[in-house]
Amino acid sequence: MKLDVRLSPNWLLDLEMREYRPQDAVDFCIIGTGAGGGVLAQRLARFGFSVVALEAGDWHDSERDMVSDEAGSGRLYWNDLRITGGQDPLEFGANNSGRGVGGGTVHYAAFCPRLHPSDFRVRTLDGVAVDWPISYQDLEPYYEDMEREYPVSGPAHFPWGAPHGYPYAPLEAGTAGQMLIKGCQALGIRVVAGGPVAIPSGRVGKRPHCIQRGFCLLGCKVGAKSSTLVSHIPDAIARGAEIRTACMAFEIPLDQAGRVSGVRYYRTLPGGRRIEEEQRAQAVIVAGYAIETPRLLLNSTSERFPDGLANSSGLVGRYLMAQAGPVVWGRFPDLIRQYKSPPACALSEAFCETDAANDFVRGYALQTVAPLPIAMAHLIAEEDGRFGEGLVRAMQDYNHDAAIGVLGEILPDERNTVTIHPTERDRFGIPVPYMRFSLFENDRRMMAAGIARARAVLTAAGATETHAVPRYAHLVGTARMGFTPADSVVDRWCRSWDVPNLLVCDGSVLPTQGSANPALTISALAARTSDWLRRAVPAGALARRPSDPTAVEV
Amino acid sequence: MISDRYPDADVLEQRGHWDDATRQVVLDRVHNVPSFHYFDAQARETLEALCARIIPQDHRPAARRVPIAPWIDDRCASDTGVGFRFDDMPDDATAWTLGLAGLDETAQAVAGARFSVLPPDRQDLVLEAIRQGDPPGDVWRRRVPARRWWIQVALKQISGVYYAHPSAWDEIGFGGPAYPRGYAALNFGAREHWEATEVPDSPPAISGGAAPGAVPS
Repeated sequence: MKLDVRLSPNWLLDLEMREYRPQDAVDFCIIGTGAGGGVLAQRLARFGFSVVALEAGDWHDSERDMVSDEAGSGRLYWNDLRITGGQDPLEFGANNSGRGVGGGTVHYAAFCPRLHPSDFRVRTLDGVAVDWPISYQDLEPYYEDMEREYPVSGPAHFPWGAPHGYPYAPLEAGTAGQMLIKGCQALGIRVVAGGPVAIPSGRVGKRPHCIQRGFCLLGCKVGAKSSTLVSHIPDAIARGAEIRTACMAFEIPLDQAGRVSGVRYYRTLPGGRRIEEEQRAQAVIVAGYAIETPRLLLNSTSERFPDGLANSSGLVGRYLMAQAGPVVWGRFPDLIRQYKSPPACALSEAFCETDAANDFVRGYALQTVAPLPIAMAHLIAEEDGRFGEGLVRAMQDYNHDAAIGVLGEILPDERNTVTIHPTERDRFGIPVPYMRFSLFENDRRMMAAGIARARAVLTAAGATETHAVPRYAHLVGTARMGFTPADSVVDRWCRSWDVPNLLVCDGSVLPTQGSANPALTISALAARTSDWLRRAVPAGALARRPSDPTAVEV
Repeated sequence: MISDRYPDADVLEQRGHWDDATRQVVLDRVHNVPSFHYFDAQARETLEALCARIIPQDHRPAARRVPIAPWIDDRCASDTGVGFRFDDMPDDATAWTLGLAGLDETAQAVAGARFSVLPPDRQDLVLEAIRQGDPPGDVWRRRVPARRWWIQVALKQISGVYYAHPSAWDEIGFGGPAYPRGYAALNFGAREHWEATEVPDSPPAISGGAAPGAVPS
């Protein structure tokens, strides 16, 4: 079919997209087109594999569908029913979910830091959580690739983690971002201007550079901000991949030999009629992010896997992590106008590593954030439930506020889970996910320290009063990678321990999360897994389970 | 009394500089306010009264007040999902129906009359009891956690409707949509030539503190 999707003012994606028949077994069926799925589709198509990527949502046309309006942007999010509970229940929908081609990268702020080398070894270094089965060095070349391909702008010499710099120069920070820089400088805290943020400071192909309009979180109409929608998916299609939209996967069937045979999904046709189809595939890669991925696996039951596909460990849906994302804002005597410029423009990772002086391990980053009016009203409401003149007057100070986001490492805990709700169904009739989330002592102490630090920074920058609301961002960890079939769901290549031709490659495989926004790491893992598949498939590695003694090592 | 901090603001005047899709969404919100079709008359009165206390608009001429309640009613009727539900809460529409009944129940217990007929200061006492999380009333005791309803349902949805409206943007000096024009004045909180000038309060604006009429916690 011929596509008709505008990706920027001067880029109409009008390629002829290849279409596969569901009954023809493609090499890979990928579920999801976000930071993981988008890169997988592009890489695997480039390597000559036949690829169908199923996307539950639709295309986002930059002119027709994206709007500079908070209340009018609901189509960017996963709005189907989910149930949330626990001691510290997470909110879902807006912010931490994505729907449509590009997934969450369409509306992320685009901070793209790498994890630090220490993030891969927290059990060894700090005695908490688990080590990753791979090291920073394993991922480093793929970080470099993704920073070039998104691409990412930032400092020439980044002062934290492993030494590296960024291919594009930093964007200009707005006044709100300058308050983080000013406050850190006043306190002697190292801070960098310019991200790293996946908004290149120059034209990339048919993507113009940024016009500083500040609506990054509602989709970039300019096409400047990187998302897999504009960075990888057009190339995937040019290389023969099919992106099949409006397809909601509900089951991955298993054949007699214990291999997955494809993906079953509900497809909504133009006009609204819904049909059921099954795309046959030689291998399936689940990339639906940390809620939909475990939901799909847990809903795919069989005689062999009565507790959910690839779940012999019982760990599918366990170790759900959100990142701590308290928003701290200060009121300044002078005007700030925080809605201008990309919200992501400066950060400090000075407090990410374990510090013996703290009463907690691991740490947090300080990043610029810039709530638009509705988001700001919600912060004020959540802070103390104020109403009436108190609320309206606080909102009248909107142009005097500057905010900092504390992005902190919440540790994985097996009590934080995604399960299937016993009775609730979504609009497709599919059993819905039920999340339970609670903070534990280390998390609380880290968040309190981060909030205190952000208040100090804002005060040092000249804020006359500060406010804070404990919020959360990003979701990872519910199909973790590990060392053995007993300690994890997938191996170091993101391959299921239980099913030879099934992979999971998205945020759910992260064993821990560091204090880095996860998109770049997810894309880097996807690029690494794709490289492995390029060698592994012809060698026959997907013929046997990884722990099978007769398995082919690649 | 709420002062007019940006007396010259008129963000809609800039609509010719917005892209078509954005202009359509915003103008549709301004001009096509839905009619009530979900709540019965009593619930509607309670909802209107609640909106008027959460976002007081007495400082505006009646014709320029932002309609809020019709959008809440419409949302309850339309079954548009927001992506999640707390496990101690009913679905959104039910939470509204129960919460509005709870508001009247609490009003009866605290002030001896339905919420909508109370004077504003008595209404604020009722709301303060709900804000505190332990108001009198069966609804709150048995069906809906009051604090959760207050923050997640009442405050966030009502403020969400209000601050989606260009008149509210004018009130806070928000520049509004800026594509394809972009922003140029990025430093020192500077104003684009088309943005409103702030006329500071005197004395400096009060931004902290609890709601007026609030019982100290």
